[in-house]
Amino acid sequence: MTSTLSPPGTPPGPPTGPPAATARGLTRTYGRGDAAVHALRGVDLDLPRGRFTAIMGPSGSGKSTLMHCLAGLDVPDAGTVAVAGVALESLDDTALTLFRREHVGFVFQSFNLLPMLTAQQNVVLPLDLAGRRPDPARLAEVVDTLGLRDRLGHRPSELSGGQQQRVAIARALVAQPAIVFADEPTGNLDSESSAEVLGFLRRSVRELGQTVVMVTHEVDAAAYADDVVVIADGAVRAHLVDPGADVLLATLRGDR
Amino acid sequence: MRTVVLASLRTHTRRYVAAALAVVIGVAFVVTTAALSSATRDGLTRGVSAPYDGADVVATDLVGRDAAALVAAAEEDGAEGAEASVLGWASLPVRRDGRTLDGVDEVAQVTTTPTLRWPELVDGAFPAGAGEAVVDAGAAERADLGVGDELSIGQGDRATDVRVVGLVDSPSQLVRADVYVTWADLAPYADELYVDSLAWAGGTDALTDAVPHATVQDARGYVEEVTAEINRGVDVVAILLLLFASIALFVSVLVISNTFSILFAQRQRDFALLRCVGATRRQVLRSVRLEALVLGLVASATGLAAGTAAGLAIVAVVDSRFPTADLGSASVSPGWYAGAAVTGVVVTLVAAWLPTRRVTAVSPLAALRPDTGIDARTAAGRTRVALGVAALVGGAGLLALSVSTTSPLVMVVGGTTAFSGVLLLGPLLVPALIGFTGRAASRVLGTPGRLATGNAVRHPRRTAATTASLLIGVTLTTAVLTGMASARGAVDDEMDASHPLDATLTAGGAGLPDRAVDAVRAVDGVDDVLAVPGVRADVGALGAVAVLGRPADVAAITRGPGTVLEVGDDEILLSYDLVSGREVPNRVEVTVDGRTERLRTVLGEGWGSAALVSASTLAALTDTPMTTALWVRADDGADAGALADGLDAVAAGLGASAGGGFAERGYVDLQLDVVTGAVVGLLGIAVVIALIGIANTLGLSVLERGREHALLRALGLTRRQLRTMLGLEAVLLSVVATVLGTVIGTSFAWVGVQAMVRSVVPEAPLVLPLGQLAVVVLVSAAAGLLACVLPARRAARVSPAAGLALD
Repeated sequence: MTSTLSPPGTPPGPPTGPPAATARGLTRTYGRGDAAVHALRGVDLDLPRGRFTAIMGPSGSGKSTLMHCLAGLDVPDAGTVAVAGVALESLDDTALTLFRREHVGFVFQSFNLLPMLTAQQNVVLPLDLAGRRPDPARLAEVVDTLGLRDRLGHRPSELSGGQQQRVAIARALVAQPAIVFADEPTGNLDSESSAEVLGFLRRSVRELGQTVVMVTHEVDAAAYADDVVVIADGAVRAHLVDPGADVLLATLRGDR
Repeated sequence: MRTVVLASLRTHTRRYVAAALAVVIGVAFVVTTAALSSATRDGLTRGVSAPYDGADVVATDLVGRDAAALVAAAEEDGAEGAEASVLGWASLPVRRDGRTLDGVDEVAQVTTTPTLRWPELVDGAFPAGAGEAVVDAGAAERADLGVGDELSIGQGDRATDVRVVGLVDSPSQLVRADVYVTWADLAPYADELYVDSLAWAGGTDALTDAVPHATVQDARGYVEEVTAEINRGVDVVAILLLLFASIALFVSVLVISNTFSILFAQRQRDFALLRCVGATRRQVLRSVRLEALVLGLVASATGLAAGTAAGLAIVAVVDSRFPTADLGSASVSPGWYAGAAVTGVVVTLVAAWLPTRRVTAVSPLAALRPDTGIDARTAAGRTRVALGVAALVGGAGLLALSVSTTSPLVMVVGGTTAFSGVLLLGPLLVPALIGFTGRAASRVLGTPGRLATGNAVRHPRRTAATTASLLIGVTLTTAVLTGMASARGAVDDEMDASHPLDATLTAGGAGLPDRAVDAVRAVDGVDDVLAVPGVRADVGALGAVAVLGRPADVAAITRGPGTVLEVGDDEILLSYDLVSGREVPNRVEVTVDGRTERLRTVLGEGWGSAALVSASTLAALTDTPMTTALWVRADDGADAGALADGLDAVAAGLGASAGGGFAERGYVDLQLDVVTGAVVGLLGIAVVIALIGIANTLGLSVLERGREHALLRALGLTRRQLRTMLGLEAVLLSVVATVLGTVIGTSFAWVGVQAMVRSVVPEAPLVLPLGQLAVVVLVSAAAGLLACVLPARRAARVSPAAGLALD
């Protein structure tokens, strides 16, 4: 582990400037007729730049769908999404793909890494796909921040769950994306690894100036975030800025 | 458990399609073989007895002269009621209005005796005597002949004019001909007659008196014997076809086995879950074997139907396109059906055996572990490697032995053993080759190339099994192509020696006029013409013949080295058709206008109906040689029939005779082409099954890697890059298999040429048909691409979010 872990710094203060991502009137329905599931019912949301935002909600609340739409992985039925000032609905599939690999980073719950590539190859994969060479200084910074220096030559099957997730975070950060989405990043990890991964996500915001959006249903995980967006039944219930643990718990309890 | 089996079959139907298709094709192949051989048998044996219905005995082992003697004997014996009908034919040019008819050249006898007259009249009447003929209805249709047409049969002074008085059907395929004339008109060609048999009615004393060496047997016994022989012949062909069917079925085993392996790997969690909820090992095993059984039954039944339909369709097509082929009706006996069905089911069960055994190894706990993706790194076990190396070395040793002993049996055993070794080493060999090729490809295609290479070698055993199926087909195909090309090279050398000249036009009288050169040059397909000087001379007992002087520049016009037409100053080359069976002394006197040369005789052929002497001998014989023959070199691609017709027409106008080896060369080439085409076509079925296998492996892998592809798409892989990646994976598999197969196939062909051809023709070099081999590689690369079209489309259609949500 790296010995440069510093105590959590103070939050960078209230957001300023244009948001990293915005959604207006976002609607997404799966299926048809009786079987229709309204995953999102008109979501309006601004995600501030340079902050660690958690999207919380119970299972089936639509939080994953919201993230997929914000990240350009899924296309909403109605409404608009803008990421880094670009309206996603104006892009066709290829343009969207190119936009994703330039401006968006991802960390998923499981099956994060390609089994036939080494850790290093996995980390630089988005750059490879874009035909770009990784900036060695940036790569070293990310790798050292995440403590992966001595793991780079290993394949995913030779890494622990926490190490795999750190490789995934490194991959999300290496291209300096405008926004990083993390979908239940600690869902498959034990509590120690979870704390470590969440700590890294927060450091990437504090120290590397990234914008991170994390979907989770764990209050403990949400507690690492600066802001918390609470989703229920496909709509935003609350958007809390710098909530204390008590405010967060109260809000969640109030929803039940 | 039955609920589970049925539900799983329903769920996975689409994944079983390719495996089922492999079985269907194999079974259909067997059934089609049965249908075609039954139709052939029926067509050949039907009407076999017709020519002998009115006969008492049948005489065989006859040449044309014997037949003539027997016909004469029957006529003499007429008072006692003896009759003879010659069954056989002479190949003669048949002309109408001076034009040679295409495809009408077999002339046979039709007797005037109603009891022995076997063709069936469809129009007009039978010939009553000389000058009349009947024509086979099929031949009449081809050449647009009708009752009342005047035909000229044969060449030169023996040419006979006949009038068509009727059209007939020929019930027996064995002795059918195009034109039937009475014996009076056929007799002049008795020497050229091929005699199959002779039907004889009446007492046999006259027969045995006339031709004591003839084999005589009872008519019914003869028909039975001929029928049995045809059956044996058809059986041999059927067995050969079944050999190809078994190759196709073996490839099917690989494809099915691979399908089950992949499906079971994907369903490992399902099996573990079944174990968790209380299914015993045996129950799980039985359920998957039952699945294989159902698959085998359904596929075999479909194969029986498809094979029957294909057999009937082929017979119908052949009947309508090639009426002379005269196939009978196709029928498949219950025995064949049963055999094909059992084979299909057994093949499926055998193919499923190993993969199903692995299923039971899964522990119930596997269901409870979080799914980290299937990362079954299957590699080559130590036993497998040891066995593979042993087989490879042993096989190579046997192959070397077969070269030194020229033993085909040792060669086949050695080839099979060595190839098994290659298949066993596949999991090591193929990924290594793919890795090597893939590295080169990634340099051009970047990351998708690298990902494709990684994917292609992820499951070494799966990769090896997939490529093995294609490897078999390609190895056999290239071995056949190379072997045939080498054999053709040897045959070509032989042809060059026996037929150095493509065509000749030899003067019948004294010399050819100057315009003859231009007339011949104008014939379609003529590349070059050489005027050969000569003189009409008396050669010993042969009388007046055309004696040619060997031109100095003969090499410009001959095929091959041209040394075959070398003639010494004291020699005279006499062609076989000039001598036509007569005894020729060692030395003959050649006389022209009182000048005489005594020359040593050498018999040979290839320069037309003439004698050949050296230029100086000719100069000694005459001071005024005339152009006596024209030697022709044909365009390489010239149509042999058109060339012969054109030269015939020129020759007829000049009173000359045309000849040459081009037609024969074309015929031999055609035979080789037909054999090569048939074998490659039959192996093509195995190749098609193998390509289905590649599409299958790829399709199933795409399903398996759904989440991976979604991840890649999320990370910025465009749809096009994803398709490129999958396409490249398929091409890597097919091209590596093809190149490896080509190398092995060519080596086998080399061994084959050494062991078999060289024992017959000492100087048989290995000829690489580079063009054909390149086509094989290109076709299989294209087919590989084709195989990935559907899986790639399905993979690219899935949106990243949907893919990530996959289980």
